[in-house]
Amino acid sequence: MQTSFTRRHALGLLTIAGALSVTAPVHAVDSGAQARTFVHDFGNKLVAIVNNDISLPQKKQQIEPLLEQNVDVDAIGRYCIGRYWRIATPEQQTHYLQLFHQVLVNAITDKIGDYRGVSFTVGPATPSGEDIAVSTVINRPGQPAANTEWVISSSSGAPKVVDVVGEGASLRLTQRQDYSSYIARNGGNVDALLHALTKQLANHH
Amino acid sequence: MRAETGSNSSSPRPSPLSCRPALRVAGAFLGLLALAGCATPPPKDPDALAEYNEANDRYEKLNRKAFAITMWANKYTLRPVAKAYIWAVPRPLRNSFGNLYQTMNEPVVFFNDVGAGKSRRAGDAFVRWCINMTAGLGGLIDVAAYAGYKHHDNDAGLTMATWGVPSGPYLFLPALGPSSFRDGIGYGIDVGLAPWNYVPRGYGLVTFNWAYSIMGTINGMATNVDALDQVLKDSLDPYATIRSAYQQQRKAQAAAIKADHRATVPDWYSNR
Repeated sequence: MQTSFTRRHALGLLTIAGALSVTAPVHAVDSGAQARTFVHDFGNKLVAIVNNDISLPQKKQQIEPLLEQNVDVDAIGRYCIGRYWRIATPEQQTHYLQLFHQVLVNAITDKIGDYRGVSFTVGPATPSGEDIAVSTVINRPGQPAANTEWVISSSSGAPKVVDVVGEGASLRLTQRQDYSSYIARNGGNVDALLHALTKQLANHH
Repeated sequence: MRAETGSNSSSPRPSPLSCRPALRVAGAFLGLLALAGCATPPPKDPDALAEYNEANDRYEKLNRKAFAITMWANKYTLRPVAKAYIWAVPRPLRNSFGNLYQTMNEPVVFFNDVGAGKSRRAGDAFVRWCINMTAGLGGLIDVAAYAGYKHHDNDAGLTMATWGVPSGPYLFLPALGPSSFRDGIGYGIDVGLAPWNYVPRGYGLVTFNWAYSIMGTINGMATNVDALDQVLKDSLDPYATIRSAYQQQRKAQAAAIKADHRATVPDWYSNR
């Protein structure tokens, strides 16, 4: 029932709102519906790969381009390093983002790689600062349903995921506290983080 | 550490050692008292100060010690026990024990729902207790969930949060896990609200109480062991990761309770 909000409905709402010549709500309805459609499409593609009966390395191979296309990894990376982004040299910034791409892809594929029979429903979209949070319920066999919110930003031109909130905890905020705490405990040295991430990637299997 | 009661099973909250509730409460309060003189002063740099305020962790040095001890003890005691338990007990039976623990905790949820002024949530907790204790064979089967009364969590820390009581600084309590001043005190209140701590001696009830506490702790750890392992493996600073996730989740849980204006009718009726 929740997923029945289709593009046609969105267009209909847009037309009505346009006819009433209310500018602000037009934008809100437009971006909310757009974000929901985006989550619906991206989620379906992801679930299709996850539920596919192929090997784990094959799944990873297929998921990676999908993530690069639909997730604003650079924006998440900059958020996660917090105040140290400004302290870092341009070389450190580039190196960090390279490492972060791999770390994020590994984290996501590790988490969903082994699942089978996943399904999800898209709930309502609510504004979250300048972005839009779309709530979903993810169902996995034999496990309690997981309420997950996807924060969608269009600041890069196209809608992209900039955060995932699971049971109230924002992944990017948690990650930022992890990284900034690690850097702070290593004398505020960004290289310490780069070294730790390189080591983490080397140990990944 | 509260044992796992279900709805927040994805939290990376570790469930450390089990000991008698009264002792646990006494330990928690002694810990609170001992904190008085060991706060870290806030940094001067504005960015560092913002970070310090976001972490809300004035007693970080002490908390990190408690974290290290708890994780060390966990690694050599509760974790292997929980792993063996997962190996030996099939999932349906583990789920049943989880249901039993959850049902037995329902009075605490009920009192807290009343305290938070959420009569309809309290009604659901009450109905769950009645159905599961009878038709659910003392809580082994979650019949109430099938009847449309799904479980929800509540505790005194959250109840105080809905009253607007601030969390106070973050605390990592040895053996109890992530907490705060408010949630630590809330834990003491919850122990007081649990009817199982008032059972008279004799009739095997004290044995039951022990078995119940230990079973709940092991079962809770078994539910969380993989999530905890992953946090310990994936984060550069697991202490900071758990601190952040815990504080965010508590905030979200309190907000969810405040925003909960559910109807008294079960799911199947309202979704018709």
